[in-house]
Amino acid sequence: MSKKTDYYTLLGLSRNASPEEIRKAYFSAARRLHPDKGGPPQDTERFLEVQEAYKVLSNPQKRAQYNATLPPEKTESEFVKQKVLYSRQGMTRLKEPQLVYALIEYSTAIDSNAPPAPPLNLCLVLDRSTSMQGKNMDVVKATAIQLLHRLRQGDTLSVVAFSDRAETLIPATNNVELKKLEARIQMLQTSGGTEIFQGLETGYREIRHDLKKSHVNHIILLTDGRTYGDEEKCLELAKDAAKDGIGISGLGIGAEWNDDFLDKLVSLTGGSSLYVSRPQDIQHILIEKFNNLWQVYAKESTLEFKLGEGVDLRYAFRLQPEVGLLPVESPLRLGPILKDVNLKILMEFMVQPPSGQTEDVCLLEGEFKVSISSQPIPVHSVAVRLSRPMADSTGLQTPPGEILQALSHLSLYRLQEQARRDVIDGKYAQASRRLQRLATRLLEQGQRGLARTALVEAEHIQRKKKFTQEGEKHIKYGTRALLSPGQEEDKP
Amino acid sequence: MIICPSCHHKEIPGALFCSQCGAQLVLISPFDLPKDPMNKNVSNPKQNISSSPIPPAWTGDVRISLHLVESGQILPLADRTEFSLGRVAEGQPIMPDVDLTPFKAYENGVSRLHALLRLAEKEVVIIDLGSSNGTYVNGSRIAPNVKHPLRHGDMILLGKLKIQILFSPDYE
Repeated sequence: MSKKTDYYTLLGLSRNASPEEIRKAYFSAARRLHPDKGGPPQDTERFLEVQEAYKVLSNPQKRAQYNATLPPEKTESEFVKQKVLYSRQGMTRLKEPQLVYALIEYSTAIDSNAPPAPPLNLCLVLDRSTSMQGKNMDVVKATAIQLLHRLRQGDTLSVVAFSDRAETLIPATNNVELKKLEARIQMLQTSGGTEIFQGLETGYREIRHDLKKSHVNHIILLTDGRTYGDEEKCLELAKDAAKDGIGISGLGIGAEWNDDFLDKLVSLTGGSSLYVSRPQDIQHILIEKFNNLWQVYAKESTLEFKLGEGVDLRYAFRLQPEVGLLPVESPLRLGPILKDVNLKILMEFMVQPPSGQTEDVCLLEGEFKVSISSQPIPVHSVAVRLSRPMADSTGLQTPPGEILQALSHLSLYRLQEQARRDVIDGKYAQASRRLQRLATRLLEQGQRGLARTALVEAEHIQRKKKFTQEGEKHIKYGTRALLSPGQEEDKP
Repeated sequence: MIICPSCHHKEIPGALFCSQCGAQLVLISPFDLPKDPMNKNVSNPKQNISSSPIPPAWTGDVRISLHLVESGQILPLADRTEFSLGRVAEGQPIMPDVDLTPFKAYENGVSRLHALLRLAEKEVVIIDLGSSNGTYVNGSRIAPNVKHPLRHGDMILLGKLKIQILFSPDYE
């Protein structure tokens, strides 16, 4: 890092950081870099710089003087590039609310001699309830063993199995006696019910055992069932995990599991959920998940934000790297940025009629923070301000193709969401009609298999007043998958 | 307020797709636009639908009618910019916008959701929705899920059902 690194960057802060934030950042950096830790010599050097930075920033007077010497704040960090596209060039002065979409893209600004990907600290939490018996369990075992063999030096893999209680099959150690570990996985028997909290809690404990800032810490939960009564406890645990920098991903197998719950759980940590309809798919989906984790360049990216006056964030969706709905509250946990796949977030804002003669509508203001483990200063922040000019009238505005394309698929996902809501509200005819419209759109886009499922469900709802569990998930994850680029025609 | 041309639902200004039926509310097709070069992963064959090289004859001031050749009947299409053509089958929830059952659709091999007529800006197109017996324009079969431009007098076949496309001036 050059000598010009300013004190804010050094501490991973934005320029408007509060004294409290400065204090916290300083203590955390000082602890990490302290010479007593016995780190590399650069650490000591950086430790002194951090001391100097704190001396200046903790003193309001000195801080103001220092601020005056800084060049204007860049909206880009050295490591992360930000790009924003809007659906319209400007807002129109109207007496009614209006919508605008923003697509934010973060990419890594690394050169060819990129640092190696950080090591993994991973825990597989496996559902071993009776319903997993047979092919599901066989494939899960085979895949877990395969993953054991693929570990790189420095990676840690722990394995937890749960039913209505949990046990650690493989503790979080760098144990290299593969044969022994394999045998333990092979011994796994199915029995009992599904209590996800049991598994998660044990997995969380294993991960914390080897919790390091420099690692990618992640729990992968595999389940095929519904958990009852412990949902709240699971969500609380996910929040704690997020604070510790631990991501959670979920793999739902078959038709029985509760997708609403699993989606909510993983999105609290910036993770994603995946749907596996056939046991033979477990293997490649898990391995793909692994490969993604190995590609992590920056982790735990979050967007802390405040909305502009009269602005409502109605919808936020991650298009890449792993597609998924985001809960619209600050901070938005966005998950990792991979080396080759940019992070893309699509947002829908509703803007109320402005009071007075505003020339500029601020949609959102905040800070994008990301931690890059391979860098000596792990936390980087980028100032984010989304805004649009306001004019009395605007001509015909052509939205960027990328936004249109994403929305054309997102609108299908949302039709599906609404149909589900209709069924819950008892509006069966409406749900059925909506699915038929969805089918028409899907046919237009060449998605025949998915369209057929939508039509079958439309009919099923008319007769039975509910979705089939399988069809409901198939449509949800099928339309969601359309949003990720490179998606091929769905299999019939 | 803006009104969805397809299902007449009211939408908030700035919306790009109808929240009720998924119809696009702006006049360009997302698939006609050049792809973002940043997107290394995009390799979607179905999105390579090119726009038509033939100059379209529709100016937006006309209406479309379907001339059912066999029965001689003329069905005017109005108030919308998109019409799905097909037939209603008993016990099936599929509801095409234009039900061709009275014109022996079943006997002629018309699928339940056979094709889609779309009135875009200065252009009328037909899209085969992957029908079993295919859609023909002036004797040649068109590829499924690809837009095909139509002109006044074009003869289309849905399976074996013969329909002539008529553009007529808008008297409203």
